[in-house]
Amino acid sequence: MRNVWVVLKREYLERVRTRAFLLTTLLLPLFMGAVMILPSKLASMKSSAVRHVAVVASSPDFAARIQHQLDARSKQLGTRFLLEAQTDGSPAAIARLQQRVAAKELDGYLLVTDKELAAGKAVYAARSTSDFVESASLESAVSTAMTRQRLASRGLNNADIDSLFSRIDLDTITLAGGKQSRGNALVTLLASVTMMMMMYMTVILYGIAVMRAVLEEKTSRVVEVMLASVTPKEMMAGKILGVGAVGVTQIVIWWIMAALLFTAGLAGGGAAMSGLELGSLKLGYFLVFFLLGYFLYATLWAALGAMVNSEQEAQQMQFIVMLPLILSTVVMILVIRQPNSPLAVWMSFVPFCTPLIMYLRIVVQQPPFWQIALSIALTVATTYALVALCSRIYRVGILMYGKRPTLPEILKWIKYA
Amino acid sequence: MDSVQLKDVSKSYGEFVAVDALTFAVPAGGIYGLLGPNGAGKTSTIRMLMGITLPDRGEVALFGRPFDRRQLRRIGYLPEERGLYRRMKVLEHLVFLGELHGMSAAEAGKKGAAWCERLELADWTKKKVEELSKGMQQKVQFIAALLHEPEIVILDEPFYGLDPLNTTVLKDALLEFRRGGRTILFSTHRMDQVEKLCDAICLINHGRAVLEGDLKQIKARFGRNNVQIAYEGGGDGVALQDSPLVDKFNDYGNYVEVRLRAGADPQELLRLVAARNRISRFELMEPSLEEIFIETVGKSDA
Repeated sequence: MRNVWVVLKREYLERVRTRAFLLTTLLLPLFMGAVMILPSKLASMKSSAVRHVAVVASSPDFAARIQHQLDARSKQLGTRFLLEAQTDGSPAAIARLQQRVAAKELDGYLLVTDKELAAGKAVYAARSTSDFVESASLESAVSTAMTRQRLASRGLNNADIDSLFSRIDLDTITLAGGKQSRGNALVTLLASVTMMMMMYMTVILYGIAVMRAVLEEKTSRVVEVMLASVTPKEMMAGKILGVGAVGVTQIVIWWIMAALLFTAGLAGGGAAMSGLELGSLKLGYFLVFFLLGYFLYATLWAALGAMVNSEQEAQQMQFIVMLPLILSTVVMILVIRQPNSPLAVWMSFVPFCTPLIMYLRIVVQQPPFWQIALSIALTVATTYALVALCSRIYRVGILMYGKRPTLPEILKWIKYA
Repeated sequence: MDSVQLKDVSKSYGEFVAVDALTFAVPAGGIYGLLGPNGAGKTSTIRMLMGITLPDRGEVALFGRPFDRRQLRRIGYLPEERGLYRRMKVLEHLVFLGELHGMSAAEAGKKGAAWCERLELADWTKKKVEELSKGMQQKVQFIAALLHEPEIVILDEPFYGLDPLNTTVLKDALLEFRRGGRTILFSTHRMDQVEKLCDAICLINHGRAVLEGDLKQIKARFGRNNVQIAYEGGGDGVALQDSPLVDKFNDYGNYVEVRLRAGADPQELLRLVAARNRISRFELMEPSLEEIFIETVGKSDA
């Protein structure tokens, strides 16, 4: 037991003191924060883009309505449209417009004469039509303008029309465990994705760190000296626990950083951050499922590190170990949308997916407690079995140099007394 | 009491028999050489002594009692495959290995620093292992093997790859260690080291002991029928090879070595050589270990 402690201590101190630890501790949350906050920041940024567009409409009044609609959206869109109206839709006039577009006097022209509208369509011709957000705005501006025009022609005044167009904002409230928390679907999505990706990254980061450490001990032959006083089991246990302790340290530092961020009121993207508040309730679970995932995968990775002789060899086989994790991220959106669908529930019971999927379900919507308990129990049992298996591979593998073992050879290792 | 005892120990890796019913005993106190050509099973044997691998058959006893992992704290080990944590600082590394052998960190630090001083590593204690030369790294590992003052030290090819200066430094440390009544077991394929250092040896080949026991007795068993002759004149006139007195003839350049045929009189050989050359040295001696080695291994291979 003392040996495990000495190995653990070395592993922990050697890692915590590195610059890499400092950098990931500081940069990963910054990166995550940027991912969450930047889109809302970017959206609220005023864009200087201006589009000069000629509008060919049967009445100047209609062009004014379109301008009005576009102005209302210009803030959200980031592009300002400057329209010039003309009523002449003859082929000669159109040809002139095309020349002006070619001469870069205009960015494009919009053809919305009564003839076009009657056919239920409008034409936007421009030098660049690749900005689908812009064309979508134009389309919606034209339809709204047309609807408003028709309503007006039936005698409704502007106030009536405005009231017809008033929007309803859907306020979503999550009911869980008797508590209700306000949040909208987008924020929940962002928070869930963030938390899940943090889990994904930390499990892989630390799992692979274990593999690298084992591989380094093997290739540098430190293992020979170590085995003079430590059993392979003690070595593997000390290593996995030591690296795991580094992971826990990092997560705790992140908690503290997040807490400081909130209390200091530095939360830039207010709405996005209220999603994190929702996540803060689930931070305890983050640690639990990180440890579950870490121990499960670190055990596999330790055995993998003992099996191979070089980083290149390891990379070829790493993919197999990572497959369930990658698969979990693939179904992530499905699980967020329907956390109680059979797919989500069953996957959350597969121990290799539990750390990500069950945790995600917890973040999105509190699953029944028995499901959480069952998934934890299954993962612990699987890890226990894997430790027994992998420590046998590890014990033989760390002393085997040369070519990569074949599957039958590995089976033989497991059977060695 | 024997410090280390192997009884009928065998170990195979798949089809390959690395150690085959090996039996030998290392008496307490003194230096014991485990000798053999490459691939003879020296490292496999030592790994079983350290409990790194388990024998398929047979028994290993340490300090007169069956092998038990707890005994390992009283043993120091220098493996053949050297390796340290490259990014660890030298002294911290020594403390770490000392702690694994049951020392306190403070004690290991103090003794480690003293050893570094002695082996001229004092300026390197705060450097990372990867900044050290191979020879220096080997010295660090050597210190690690002796740091916890074990009663037995087991060294696998301890001088391999060292320059003569460092070899002498380590050899002196080992000799001092022996004076404290401790036991040293080391493996090598270098005969000269064994001749200089060992009290007893075990010569193994193909995993079997072919010669075992006290070095002096072994040499005596092979008798004093070797003669080294150095003479002036290049020896063109000496047709020793064809002489009926000579069993084996070796020209080493500066001198020749002759093994007499059984029953031949060395004085007769002296007269024969003196008749034609100016002799600067004529010495009747025991066979060198190298010769014994080559002969015994050759015989066991045949």
